[in-house]
Amino acid sequence: MTWLVASLITIALWGVVGLLQKMGSQHSTSNSLMLWTTAGYLLLLPFLFTDSHLLALPARALVVGVASGLTNGLGAWSLYTAFERGARASVAVPLTALNPLVTLVLALLVLGERLTVAQTAGVVLALIAGAMLSYEPNAKEGA
Amino acid sequence: MKPRLWHWLAPALMACLWWGLFGFLAKLGSADVNAYDMQVLFTVGTIPIAIYILIRRAGMRANNKGRLIGAVIGIFAGVGGIAYFAAMARGKASIVGPVTSLFPMVTVLLATTLLKERLNRVQMAGIVLALISAALLAT
Repeated sequence: MTWLVASLITIALWGVVGLLQKMGSQHSTSNSLMLWTTAGYLLLLPFLFTDSHLLALPARALVVGVASGLTNGLGAWSLYTAFERGARASVAVPLTALNPLVTLVLALLVLGERLTVAQTAGVVLALIAGAMLSYEPNAKEGA
Repeated sequence: MKPRLWHWLAPALMACLWWGLFGFLAKLGSADVNAYDMQVLFTVGTIPIAIYILIRRAGMRANNKGRLIGAVIGIFAGVGGIAYFAAMARGKASIVGPVTSLFPMVTVLLATTLLKERLNRVQMAGIVLALISAALLAT
């Protein structure tokens, strides 16, 4: 599987998540939805242990993996805090959709990744498109 | 800057930073850890926040449909996460990060067909940009 195929699978599944979050926000508060999302993550765990090398991993890798879950959760939590403090979803959601810009800068500076001109144009357009696609002038807050 | 603006803008910018950092850590971790194990570790990382929400017990309201939707979100987001870690292991974070952030395209298309929501002009323009971006990155 190439990075592109894996990315398309991610886009499809996270796209469904976006729809479910819209639907869920009518039946649940954001805190409750976050809690039950974690329950969903836990339900997946038994299926993930089939080919596990967790016990053989260095401590550094374990810390990075756990930190990825923590930072992802803190991101959602920060957005909900912004909503509680009066942020409009039509502004805050497209703004947070620019988050891969942070990933991009870190990848270029820390990992030394380099992009061709065409790739740079594609990446910049993807960032802008992601923000524009998240724009909903009448969005319900806390979705 | 007006303090009221900063009051909500600060956590919104923090969300941006946390999620951007998530993408970076996903790339860093995927170099040593397979995608399934990354999802296990990711799940462990989400537990402290779940425990905090449980202890605080504030703003916790849901009906059974809401609870079910939450759990299904976790399953879809989790399997999507495995694919995301796999993409990060195989590609550059500077490309995989922005490309996977196009997932709202699927959301808006599903919302127009299933929830009968209407696409606004900004979203339509976003779809066009996303397609141009895909053409540039697929070559």
